Amino acid sequence: MPPAHHPNRDTVTTIREDGSRRFLYPADVRGRFSLARRISALLLIAVYALLPWIPVGGYPAVFLDVAARRFHLFGLTLAAQDIWLLFFLITGLGFLLFIVTALFGRLWCGWACPQTVFLDHVYRRIERWVEGDGVQRRTLADAPWGPGKIARAAVKHAAYIVVSLGIAHLFLAYYVSIPALWAMMTGAPGRHWAAFVFIALATGVVYFNFAWFREQLCIIICPYGRLQSVLTDDHTLIIGYDAARGEPRGPAGAHAAGDCIACDRCVRVCPTGIDIRQGLQMECIGCAACVDACDEVMAHTGRPPGLVRYDSLAGLARKPKRIWRPRLAIYSVLLLFGATAATWGVLSIHPVLLTAIRLTGAPYYLDQGIVRNQYLVRLVNKQNSPATVRLDVSGLRPGASARGVEDAIEVPPMGEELRPLIIEQSRSTYQGPFAFRVHAADPAEGVDVGLSLEFLGPATAGSYP
Amino acid sequence: MTDPKKTHPSDTDIRPHTFDGIQEFNHRLPNWWLFTLYGAVVFWLCYWSYYQWFHEGPDDRHRIQAELVQVEAAKLAAMASSHLDNASLWAMSRNPVIVASGRKTFEANCTPCHLASLRGRSENKLAIGPDLTVRIWIHGGHPIDLYHTVTQGVPAKGMPTWGPILGPRRITEAVAYVLSHHQEGEPIIDAATLPPGSK
Ligand code: SF4
Ligand code: SF4
Repeated sequence: MPPAHHPNRDTVTTIREDGSRRFLYPADVRGRFSLARRISALLLIAVYALLPWIPVGGYPAVFLDVAARRFHLFGLTLAAQDIWLLFFLITGLGFLLFIVTALFGRLWCGWACPQTVFLDHVYRRIERWVEGDGVQRRTLADAPWGPGKIARAAVKHAAYIVVSLGIAHLFLAYYVSIPALWAMMTGAPGRHWAAFVFIALATGVVYFNFAWFREQLCIIICPYGRLQSVLTDDHTLIIGYDAARGEPRGPAGAHAAGDCIACDRCVRVCPTGIDIRQGLQMECIGCAACVDACDEVMAHTGRPPGLVRYDSLAGLARKPKRIWRPRLAIYSVLLLFGATAATWGVLSIHPVLLTAIRLTGAPYYLDQGIVRNQYLVRLVNKQNSPATVRLDVSGLRPGASARGVEDAIEVPPMGEELRPLIIEQSRSTYQGPFAFRVHAADPAEGVDVGLSLEFLGPATAGSYP
Repeated sequence: MTDPKKTHPSDTDIRPHTFDGIQEFNHRLPNWWLFTLYGAVVFWLCYWSYYQWFHEGPDDRHRIQAELVQVEAAKLAAMASSHLDNASLWAMSRNPVIVASGRKTFEANCTPCHLASLRGRSENKLAIGPDLTVRIWIHGGHPIDLYHTVTQGVPAKGMPTWGPILGPRRITEAVAYVLSHHQEGEPIIDAATLPPGSK
């Protein structure tokens, strides 16, 4: 049975000529890629569901505590002041995606994107259990409303809503932690309206997306699919149809026919409604369903698999293949730059922040034959435990001394402390401005931060050579 | 049903313009997309009529006004609760809780110059700040003068402007702590009234 509508390259299958939606009822598919994708998807779902539960260093493995502006990532705690690292995270993920895409095409879409993972391996599974395979689902959709259809729709949508609620709650758990989430779930909605409304809206969006919107997100909204044409080239691994081997199409055994028997299996399993034999298309999410479908057909007809396969455009055209391309070098170098900067950034993040400014007034004071500079040191404790910080000044010129560093400073958890710091040098030893360093250390908490300050004074013969 | 072999819909589907050799089909948008536009129009109608036609919602001017009134109220409340004058500063200097917090502020910020004993140059000739325990006051002879000196600083001599750094509450407490080393009614001499050279 051919699909009711045959896809072409000039229109989007899921949009009819009048703008209404053409729903897809992809057929079942079995095979090595389907199995591998099922396993990797279940692993990814497990990771998503478990991360908020696994404690690392006293916090959930991933806990983006927006309320306290503390972000816990696998034991690393970042404060709002460290938000600049986000630049490296986002650009790093960007370049990584560029590299993966240049090498493997839309591997992300087909294997790891939450849209595909949840849609193919949760929502479509539910649909399959409740309404049957593609043909049965289409028949059911076309049938008039009756008790059976209503019952199935009710069961299916109830299951969708339950799953959507789960996804939304887990999402919130990343931001408030599981205990707080549980407290809100068991409390009255009126006591935390914001969270309640958020969950209601998020559930609604997730439900709408996976129950109705589906491939429209990939085809029309997601910018990544649209970027393919600039990210991939002839040597990118994509899913393609070997036209040289398959054409001309014809029933098995027909004279001069290629390997494609025109059974349209690849079209009927496609979740985006395209015909892969028409070449690489923007809609294709690289789910490999058509690969498994065709391999099965090839096995039945006693032909080698791989008429539809993972290959590059060059490979499908029987041209020499290349893996290493200039674009990969450029992406990798940029990624390396970013990763180096980010590593340096993460390593230079300290649980205590030290800054210093000059106190208001003159840059320096001359008093009783002494040159004096006054600074205000600010210590911010970014951790949940108190820090006992000792200030220490190094690199002073002979004859210079510091005041204000005698006592240890108790900085409360997530609090800040200010201390004046005064550097004095007698006129007789003063030989011009110099730089020195201030250190703040708390060995118990692993704090050791420093910064450089300038000691200023009157001009001397030596200071302007 | 579209003919499976037909890859190009009729040429009339193609719009007349060509840019860089690229032509466009004249296809309809998905209906759901159009609905987002209609939805936006409906939202605009509601929003615009709520705020602009019927002035039901507060506009920016009213909101700022309301917030300014709040700020003003908070300021007035703060002034009413800690009305600062010589008498209230003296009273605070006898309150052990206020004096204890003032001491913390003093020790964190003032001791590098005035020393923990408050005796400054009387204790150590090389100290930076003057003695705060003697009865000759350099910048005015009343507690409220002390408060202003701390808040505004004496930039010429190196006394920082503490107002923006510590804020009124902590400054008041620190002043109360300094005053706790004095007695109300003790003869205080304003240094400015002394003949030059007699200090
Ligand atoms: S599944 Fe394979 S044989 Fe069948 S139509 Fe598609 S490419 Fe041809
Ligand atoms: S063409 Fe194949 S790989 Fe692409 S979306 Fe359809 S079934 Fe998946």
